[in-house]
Amino acid sequence: MNASEILDMLVGTWLTTGLAHFDWQVMIMWAVGFLFMYLAIAKNFEPLLLLPIGFGIFIVNFPAVPLMGVNEDGTEQLLRIFYHYGVQWEVIPCVIFLGLGAMTDFGPLIANPKTLLVGAGAQLGVFVTFTGTVLAGFTLKEAASVSIIGGADGPTTIYLTQHLAPQLLGANALAAYSYMAMVPLIQPPIMRLLTTEKERKIRMRQLRPVSRTEKIIFPLVTSVIIALLVPSVVPLMGMFMLGNLMKESGVVNRLSDTAANALMNTVTIFLGISVGATMEAHTFLSYKPLFIFALGIVDFVVCTMGGILTVKIMNVFLKEKLNPLIGSAGVSAVPMAARVSQVMGLKYDKTNHLLMHAISPNLAGVIGSAAAAGMFIAMFG
Amino acid sequence: MKTMKTIVMFLACMMAVLATASASVPADDFLGVPLIPNATMFSRSDTRAELGTSLSHDEAFSFYKEYLEGKEDIQIRDWEKATYIEDDGSLPWHSITIEKQPVQGMTRVTIAKDSWTWIIGTLVLRFIGVFVVLSILYGGLVVSGAILSRVTATDKKK
Repeated sequence: MNASEILDMLVGTWLTTGLAHFDWQVMIMWAVGFLFMYLAIAKNFEPLLLLPIGFGIFIVNFPAVPLMGVNEDGTEQLLRIFYHYGVQWEVIPCVIFLGLGAMTDFGPLIANPKTLLVGAGAQLGVFVTFTGTVLAGFTLKEAASVSIIGGADGPTTIYLTQHLAPQLLGANALAAYSYMAMVPLIQPPIMRLLTTEKERKIRMRQLRPVSRTEKIIFPLVTSVIIALLVPSVVPLMGMFMLGNLMKESGVVNRLSDTAANALMNTVTIFLGISVGATMEAHTFLSYKPLFIFALGIVDFVVCTMGGILTVKIMNVFLKEKLNPLIGSAGVSAVPMAARVSQVMGLKYDKTNHLLMHAISPNLAGVIGSAAAAGMFIAMFG
Repeated sequence: MKTMKTIVMFLACMMAVLATASASVPADDFLGVPLIPNATMFSRSDTRAELGTSLSHDEAFSFYKEYLEGKEDIQIRDWEKATYIEDDGSLPWHSITIEKQPVQGMTRVTIAKDSWTWIIGTLVLRFIGVFVVLSILYGGLVVSGAILSRVTATDKKK
């Protein structure tokens, strides 16, 4: 073996390492990944998702790692397989909705169904942001997928984005989950701004008890109405209602327990890492993700305002007034937004517990954002 | 005679040049959408062009399909009375409508520009749509709740 052959061998070995393909862009993406891991670990912001997403961003942005590409024999690499079958095939968001359904008690919503309108009002930001995003040069499909962020529903955001603008999946999902985590910071100033002290002290009548039969009928009625009016969103809502029916029927406890815990946790891992892995430097580093983050917060603010203003408008016509603080829960960050209403209510009246009242528009928000997503899919899908 | 020959030759050359030139001139277009050759323009403004062609619906559709090849964010809707091609991307036009039923032997094609009226109009409609969906659900819950409480009350009386 001569010197030239040894040199060739060394160069060949060097080229198989990541160091040979290193560039500054991957370092920016590491920082992004670290930021989300920090928020999850140190600040406890949506850790179940931000931690795997952050790690996904981090690990996929090492040069030459066989994670999101295609092998020479045409087979897909590990994270690409998760992404392909989980997200691209839209399996994971629907399975998450199944688990959410199995975890959700719709009792407060059934007891006070008028709050469904608050869930609709809180979609205002979705439609306002759409206009702003189109003005900024996004295509109509991209604009629709970005605007759903304000609905504060992660699986719905992922489902709609995958349908309309898969190239924005990483940025949209990250923005949605980040802002959901920041609900306690974003919403209180808006709630104070739009309500008077007198309004914040409004006491709401205790909710009536809801029978088991009503709880069983609810997912069936909702499925019928959604399937007839917004069929495009039935994969999400159908699974949501199935999960809830399993829970409320009480006859398949093993299934509902699996859906709400083991299955939900499993798909959450795959969802987080897959979404993070879509954020490779060459696709992520452009003006669009920054713009999506900026518009996402505007979206969230307008959605919160929409919910509060809807309650105020409803109060004009209602004999028994609603506390406008529950309006902010119309965004579907369940149950964080409802907790924010509870905390704000207690600040102004230590005995005024709003949590159960706020859960109702909160759940309406989940249905409302799914309906809005369905409208967009029907429009552009 | 020689002069005559020269004139004929000159005219022939001119015609040949004109024929070649007209063949290389790109077909007329509206907002980047090619217009079907030999089509009759019924009306044309900055935002809308309406034309009629002797081509059948399927032929006109194939003509536009060829133009749309490789373009992203295009939606084709097969309606009962027309084929509706919509751009959801960033092209300057919004839609091409090809009517299925010819009128006086002509297939009508309408090309419309991107319109904020359409965007805002459809958005408002969809926002109202969300209210409608949830209001109907509200109605459904009220009705089913009322039926159930009546049934429960009757059972208790018995």
